[in-house]
Amino acid sequence: MSRLRQHWALLGLLIVGGCAATTPSNVIGAGTQLETRQIQTREYDTLDKAMTMRSVVATLQDLGFTIDQADAELGTITGTRLHKYTMRMTVTVVKKEGDQISVRTNARIGENPVTDAATYQDFFVVLDKAMFLTQHNVN
Amino acid sequence: MKRAAYMLLLIVCLGGCASTKVPADALRLPESTLDVRSIQTRTLETTSELNILIATIAVLQDMEFNIERMEKPLGVITASKITDADSIAEKTGLIFLDFLCVVSGSGGCGALSTAKDDQHITLTMVVLPSLAREGEYAVRITIQRVVYDKEDRIKVLDRIDEPEIYQAVFDNLRKSLFIQEGDS
Repeated sequence: MSRLRQHWALLGLLIVGGCAATTPSNVIGAGTQLETRQIQTREYDTLDKAMTMRSVVATLQDLGFTIDQADAELGTITGTRLHKYTMRMTVTVVKKEGDQISVRTNARIGENPVTDAATYQDFFVVLDKAMFLTQHNVN
Repeated sequence: MKRAAYMLLLIVCLGGCASTKVPADALRLPESTLDVRSIQTRTLETTSELNILIATIAVLQDMEFNIERMEKPLGVITASKITDADSIAEKTGLIFLDFLCVVSGSGGCGALSTAKDDQHITLTMVVLPSLAREGEYAVRITIQRVVYDKEDRIKVLDRIDEPEIYQAVFDNLRKSLFIQEGDS
């Protein structure tokens, strides 16, 4: 085998190996648990879980989602948006100790998880407004 | 030259391995939010929450939807239907393209297979007691669709924003509520 072919073969193996190494993480997820939770979670000083869920539904509708699933008891809402690409979000609303409600969301675009903090920050900016409007009795 | 070829290949491959970038505006409200919200929302008066929920389900059935999910405490009702998305104008254009392709002998003809075939429509209605006034209910609808071509490939992913469609749904809902109130 000529030296040039050996170089091409080595480069090919490295590239294929590099891509293949990511396969197992498709089940478990790539991010660390703590870091993922931090960027996906926001806590609110309210006792009202129902109102928080109502705000989440309004936020998802404002962002163009339809609701696939909602469970008031478990505090889980899943929505899908079909616009240029498919985006799915699950939002969970959980009562915490100390008069606080925790809202956690995770999103996927097509086959890819959304991992950047800025996108979740954008979601919570919209949710903050909806929470304010709901708490001040505005539809 | 060889080095340049290596670099180009490496860039292409690294690009392939890298995860897809999230669009910057993925979860930002567009400027049209308030307009869209007003198109999608109406306030209706009725004597009981049960009346408006029954009327809402009935109107979805009137429009040939099947109910997928319902969560009463949150007022969420999601329904869907699969309908024909065929367009005679589109098909005529594509048949003409195929005809030109065959006549010119350029090969790879098959434009007709990309014609719209059916569409899966999903609709969410949220019906909740108004926070502002007793006896009033805020109803908000969001509708979106996936259009498939003849080969079952996704052709369009679309949120439906046309005000006349929402107006027609609300007109039907008002009628349905009127009938329900008469029956109860």
